[in-house]
Amino acid sequence: MLETANIDFAWSAAANIAAAVAAGRISAVSVVEATLARIRERDPLLNSFTAVTEQRALLRAQALDDARASGERLGPLAGVPFAVKNLFDIAGLPTIAGSKIHRDAPPATRDAALIERLEAAGAVLVGALNMGEYAYDFTGENIHDGASRNPHDLDRMTGGSSGGSGAAVAGGLVPLALGSDTNGSIRVPSSLCGIFGLKPTYGRLTRARSFPFVASLDHLGPFARTTRDLALAYDAMQGFDPDDTACADRAAEPIVPLLERGAEGLRVAVAGGYFKCRTAAAVYAMDRVAAALGANRDIEIVEAERARSAAFIITASEGASLHLDRLRTRAKEFDPAVRDRLLAGAIAPASLIIKAQKFRRWYRSEVLKLFAEVDVILALATPCTAPLIGQQTFMFGDAELPVRANLGLYTQPISFIGLPVVAVPVPLAPLPIAVQIIAAPWREDVALRTAHALERQGVVAAPRPAL
Amino acid sequence: MKRKAVRKPRSARTKRTAVRKSHAPAGTKQLDAIDSLVTAGAQALGLPLDPAWRDGVIGNLRLILRHAALVDEFPLPDDAEPAAVFHA
Repeated sequence: MLETANIDFAWSAAANIAAAVAAGRISAVSVVEATLARIRERDPLLNSFTAVTEQRALLRAQALDDARASGERLGPLAGVPFAVKNLFDIAGLPTIAGSKIHRDAPPATRDAALIERLEAAGAVLVGALNMGEYAYDFTGENIHDGASRNPHDLDRMTGGSSGGSGAAVAGGLVPLALGSDTNGSIRVPSSLCGIFGLKPTYGRLTRARSFPFVASLDHLGPFARTTRDLALAYDAMQGFDPDDTACADRAAEPIVPLLERGAEGLRVAVAGGYFKCRTAAAVYAMDRVAAALGANRDIEIVEAERARSAAFIITASEGASLHLDRLRTRAKEFDPAVRDRLLAGAIAPASLIIKAQKFRRWYRSEVLKLFAEVDVILALATPCTAPLIGQQTFMFGDAELPVRANLGLYTQPISFIGLPVVAVPVPLAPLPIAVQIIAAPWREDVALRTAHALERQGVVAAPRPAL
Repeated sequence: MKRKAVRKPRSARTKRTAVRKSHAPAGTKQLDAIDSLVTAGAQALGLPLDPAWRDGVIGNLRLILRHAALVDEFPLPDDAEPAAVFHA
């Protein structure tokens, strides 16, 4: 227990914390105490947490230290503090999903499946994180809890809807967080906050005991400041779960042992056409990543714009269906912007939604053909760096576009068909931006190996903010 | 870095036998139709519609229908299956 004073907990990788705790160089309790102190100190600036599970975390950490003292071998995430978007069930707390309405929901009786899996690997839950109401958001703003703030510039958006997850990891409060991604809500905050995010293949990670948004598009996944941490968390969370009807019955395919294989031999192309970069920062970031991977060709993701439109209307309709009763009885308690979108989604004709689902299957078959030619497709994660909180529009080439609806411009056509993506941050000054590393279904290994290779080259990294 | 295209986009337009135009009328008529749809839809579904919310809902429905028109004009065969997840 002698190293505590020498460890920079605010920027330590989860892997390093776990190694130190497992070896007995530091105690899990000291890690958690330092984390809780940092949350108390910094979160008033970042507004990333909506609940801190202090007592639970300290008890859990003490149990880990006791287990180690009695000779038990600790898991790969021993003593690693983590937090979750507040749509994950946490036993004893209401699952608010960013809303006012769910504040009076009964407390959850059991943790979300992914929390259980991370804790089984030794991680320690320290709290719940701010998010856009009911996950219908790309900004990280929340009318009830206030906006989560970007650690690189507190006046700027974190991106959403997993905004608190982005702020907590990028701001050095926790090395690991969980979020959800329906249309881009892991990849957008990763880009604006400058951290790594993994949106796995649709159906890979169980969503059991998390609050849904759009069942046919919802994914859960981790955020971290290194690719190894992302892979450690991902490996701990894999595996079939009958409690999520969409969870694929596939055995876990651990990636940590494969990370060092790098990107050698992988065929990499840059998404062209619809995904063409239109700002100087975007062009620079993409060119750096493409050059590092030897990607010297473009590839067209056919009908991407139409795919985004189809995702847009499926989201509006399925989301409205989920909230129909609450719209009838408690409409005034919604964020007005979310309420108006959901009401419109409820009224949209069903025939068009079914057509979008049919188009989705056609689009999937066309995009999958591309993976006969390439292993990895690169596309920007967001069309711009972090806008100011409250900013309504941004320039996209010559066009002025609404921020709220368009931050997911590049992410929606990818999650629409459930492809695995690692968002990798290019540490530009003053603000980072991320590139999506897109792989074929079930090939998270390819995306994570590529991300790791870029990280080793120093091309991508989570920049440390001057907090 | 200069990159060359290795795959030409297979535009859906080359596959179409006929490109249908959006069925929605333009301009004021379209706005009126959406206005009416919002009123009727809210009534039929038992949804509250405070007068202060109308413009927001109408604007959002107009946006949804604009996106939907892009999907609707894409020709699909009669045997196209929806992609929703279901396991028997």
